[in-house]
Amino acid sequence: MNHVAAVFAPNSVLSRNTVRILVATQVTIVFLLWAFSPFVLLPKPVEVLRALGDMWQEGLGGELITSFYLNLEAIAVATVVSLLLAYSAVMPFFRPVVALLSKLRFLSLVGLTFFFTLMAKTGHELKLSLLVFSVSVFFVTGMADVIDSIPKEKFDLARTLRMGEWRVVWEVIVLGQVDKAFDVLRQNAAIGWMMLTMVEGIVRSEGGVGTILLDQNHHFRLAAVFAIQLTILMLGLLQDYGIGMMKNLFCPYAALTLERK
Amino acid sequence: MASTPYSLGQTLLKIDNVCLEYDGRPVLKNVNAEVRKIIVPGRVQGQVVGILGPSGCGKTTLFRIIAGLMPPTSGRVSVNSFDRPVKAGEVGVVAQSYPLFEHRTVFGNMMLGAQQKEKDAKVARDKVMALLREFGLEDKFNLYPAQLSGGQRQRCAIIQQILCSEHFLLMDEPFSGLDLLMLEKTCELIAKVADMDDLNTIIVVTHDVTAACSVADHLWVMGRDSDASGNKLPGSRIVQEYNLIERDLCWHPNIITTPQFTSFVRELKEEFRRL
Repeated sequence: MNHVAAVFAPNSVLSRNTVRILVATQVTIVFLLWAFSPFVLLPKPVEVLRALGDMWQEGLGGELITSFYLNLEAIAVATVVSLLLAYSAVMPFFRPVVALLSKLRFLSLVGLTFFFTLMAKTGHELKLSLLVFSVSVFFVTGMADVIDSIPKEKFDLARTLRMGEWRVVWEVIVLGQVDKAFDVLRQNAAIGWMMLTMVEGIVRSEGGVGTILLDQNHHFRLAAVFAIQLTILMLGLLQDYGIGMMKNLFCPYAALTLERK
Repeated sequence: MASTPYSLGQTLLKIDNVCLEYDGRPVLKNVNAEVRKIIVPGRVQGQVVGILGPSGCGKTTLFRIIAGLMPPTSGRVSVNSFDRPVKAGEVGVVAQSYPLFEHRTVFGNMMLGAQQKEKDAKVARDKVMALLREFGLEDKFNLYPAQLSGGQRQRCAIIQQILCSEHFLLMDEPFSGLDLLMLEKTCELIAKVADMDDLNTIIVVTHDVTAACSVADHLWVMGRDSDASGNKLPGSRIVQEYNLIERDLCWHPNIITTPQFTSFVRELKEEFRRL
C-alpha cells in the first residue's frame, strides 16, 4: 500500500525494483490498450509484427543501416560544428553569427533544399548537409544556453587561480560543461532521427528508412508504418542509452547532486 | 589580560582612494585603508582584517576590487608594495558558496591552484598532499566536490586559494548560515591559516559583528555618510577603523566570554545601527 502511495506522492524517490514494476505495468497497459483497441484503423500487434517480418525480407535491415550511418555521420559533424560555433561565441566577433544561426531553427527544410542542392555534389552530400544544418541550429541554441547559464563565480574562481582568459574558456566552458554538452547531444541526436525521415523523404537517393516510411504511408499501409516507427524508436532508444552511458563514463560527477539518479 | 607586545611593519595591502560608479551613481566613495604587517616577537603572526557593514553597502563590490576581479572607476588597490594595481590571482578569494570545479576531484582542484605557482608537478603534488593532510582532508583527495560536506568544501576552497595566491586570502561571508560549532571551527580555521606564515593576510567580509570581532585583529566598518537632515548620501566608504590589538581584544583564548569583548561588540552594534 505504501508503494502505491509513494508512486503518486510528489518528489518521492522510488527503489529500483518499484521503478521496474511501475514501468512493466505501464508498458503492459499500453500494449493491452493497443491490442484490444476498438479503433479499426489501428493495426494490431500481430499485423505490425508480420509487416516487420515482410519488410525485413525485402531489405529493411540494409535501409536501416544506411539511415543509421547517415544519422551518425550527421550527428558527428553537427556536434563538432555546433560545439566550435558555440565556443567561438566567447569572442564578441562571433556572437552575432551564433545568434543568427540559432534563429534559423524556425526555417523549414523544404524551403532550403534548393540552396543545398546547388552546393552538394551527390545525393548523400545533400542529405548530410540538410541533416547537419537542421541538427546544428538546435545544437548551437542548446549549447549557447548552457554557456549563458554558467554562474559568474565559476569565471571568478578560474581568474583567481591566475588562469588566462583562454584557459578560463577551456576550464569553465569546455571541460566544466562537458556533462551538459552530452545532454544537449542526447536531445539533438533524437532530433536527428526526426529530421532524418524528412530528409530521406525529400532526397530519395540511397533510399533509407525514411524513404520506405513515406512510401508505406503513401499507400496507407499502416501496419508497415507502425513497424518502421517502432524500429526507429528502438534504434533511437539504443542510441540514447549509448550516449547516456558515455556521459556516465566521462562525467561520473554529473549525477552526484541529483535527486532522481 | 596582559596585552601582547607588538609592532607594525611594512604595508602589505593598500586601498588608495578607491571610487566606483555604476551608471554615474557612486557605489564606493574615497575608500582608503591599509593592512600592515604585525610583528609579535617570538611567534608567527598573520593578519586578519574584518570588513563589516550593513547589507547593500558595497562590501562585496569592494571585495571584488581588492581581489582584482573588477577595476575601480578611480583609485587603486595594490599588494606587496607593488607600484601597480592588484591583478586577479594575487589575492586568493573564497566566495560564499565555496566554488570549486565540479568536474575535477579534490586533488585535481588543488593541483590547478598549485601548478599556477609551482611548475614542477612533483613539488606541486607534495605541496597539495601536505596541505590536505594539514587540514584533515587527505582521505578525500579522490572525491568530487559534490561528495564533500559544507565544512570540507570550505577547507578545500581555502587550500586551493592558499596554493595559488601571494599570502592574501579574501573570504566573503564565511560565517553565513553556520551553526555555533561550525562558526567556532571556521574562526579557528581562519586563525590557523593566518598564522601559517608571517605574511599571510586574511580579509573577512561579513555582517556578523561578533564573529568578525572574535577572529580579527583590525576591523574596517563600511557605511554611508548622512547629510544635515540625516538622509543617507550615495557612495560607501570605510567610516571607522578599529585596532583590536590596542584594545587587547585579540589573540586570547575564549575572548568572546570576556566582559570587554561583550561591551565592545555592543558598542559596535550601536555604531552599526547608525550606518
